[in-house]
Amino acid sequence: MVHDDYKEMIPARALSALDAAEEQALNEHLENCAECRKDLEDWQATAAALSLTPDPAEPSPQVRERILSEVRKDLSSSKSEVIPLKFTPKRNIWSSFGSLGAIAAVVLFAALAIGLAVLWRQNQGLKAADEFVKLVNTPGARVSELKGIELAQGATAKLAYDGTGRAILMASKLPSVPQGKAYQLWFIVGNKPPMPGKTFVPDSAGNAVLKDEMPREAIDANVFAITVEPERGSTIPTSPIYLRSF
Amino acid sequence: MQPEDDVKLLKAIAARDEAALAQLYDRYRVILFGLLMRILNNREEAEDVLQEVFLQVWRKAEDFDENRGRPFTWLVTLGRSRGIDRLRTLAARDRVAEAGAREAVEEISDAATDAFKSEQRGLVSKALAQLPDEQKRPLMLAYFDGLTQSEIATHLGAPLGTVKTRMRTGLMNLREQLAGKGESFGF
Repeated sequence: MVHDDYKEMIPARALSALDAAEEQALNEHLENCAECRKDLEDWQATAAALSLTPDPAEPSPQVRERILSEVRKDLSSSKSEVIPLKFTPKRNIWSSFGSLGAIAAVVLFAALAIGLAVLWRQNQGLKAADEFVKLVNTPGARVSELKGIELAQGATAKLAYDGTGRAILMASKLPSVPQGKAYQLWFIVGNKPPMPGKTFVPDSAGNAVLKDEMPREAIDANVFAITVEPERGSTIPTSPIYLRSF
Repeated sequence: MQPEDDVKLLKAIAARDEAALAQLYDRYRVILFGLLMRILNNREEAEDVLQEVFLQVWRKAEDFDENRGRPFTWLVTLGRSRGIDRLRTLAARDRVAEAGAREAVEEISDAATDAFKSEQRGLVSKALAQLPDEQKRPLMLAYFDGLTQSEIATHLGAPLGTVKTRMRTGLMNLREQLAGKGESFGF
């Protein structure tokens, strides 16, 4: 497909009406086409006008109360520095190595990541590996390693991300999840509440690839975790940690 | 309500301002709840999703980028996406044919009616009424029922290519009808 083909698909994408294969192809194009991304934003604004057409409806007052109650709990939790996910203090590998060490660490991480990607390429999918390698080689890209603990002993994952928050997670040896459940990625900054990422389900061999957009605040954090949540995802973690960065 | 006011609210929410979230909720609850009721046709589910949406706003407000769109578009896109996700989870698409059996909604207050942008609603409804039914139906089935183009083609018994053309033309026509009214709409 060429640029104009993708451009024609954008109005349907703004309505979330593309079939899965088309949507995936367009999403890949959008990653590299600023013009089409702007187009999509414009079409989404037009589609949003449709939200004004249903009859207005008043939710019960309890909804407001429930929302604000959750928010207060969240604020209280932040103030008392108690968060649902507790981590041992994370060593900041980038600053502790100093500038030369950091460069060496970047090179080492990139080499490890590329090595993993090459293995993945051999065994799983060329496309995912290529995207991962491409992201790792982006200027300023970072890679964080996650390891399984207790419930996911032996599981490993690498998360590559760039300065814009574009992220790809490649995981292997993940235990299967129960029906209706999925793994969910979390971004954690200091003692703030974890920020939810996307959910994903591994294949039968326990491998998974996830593309996500990191919250801006998470880009410099380097603290990541994976839990098991309902498949549509949670706003706060509800399970023990399965994998975490170290 | 002005988009720049909403931007300020979202910035305040990103800075953990509970009152700003309450204000944003008060401003948009009837729009979003009306949208979610239209999608889910179930009060309990719609309220649950509405709660999820605003908690997501609380956690993700810093992701809003005013250079990439208006707060209204961001909020409505988020709400509609959550609603469609829930709809798919519930596998409740058969209520497409149950428009007459929709749950009653409570009367809304005058203040909420003001906030609901009744003028803008009239403009969108008028613009939609200008569209031929063959263009309007694919738009409605996609936006409110979460159907893909292939599913719409099956539902309407029309060729997929025809549905794609009508959907694109319909949205283009809607955009033309609303052209120049964007500022007053807040999107």
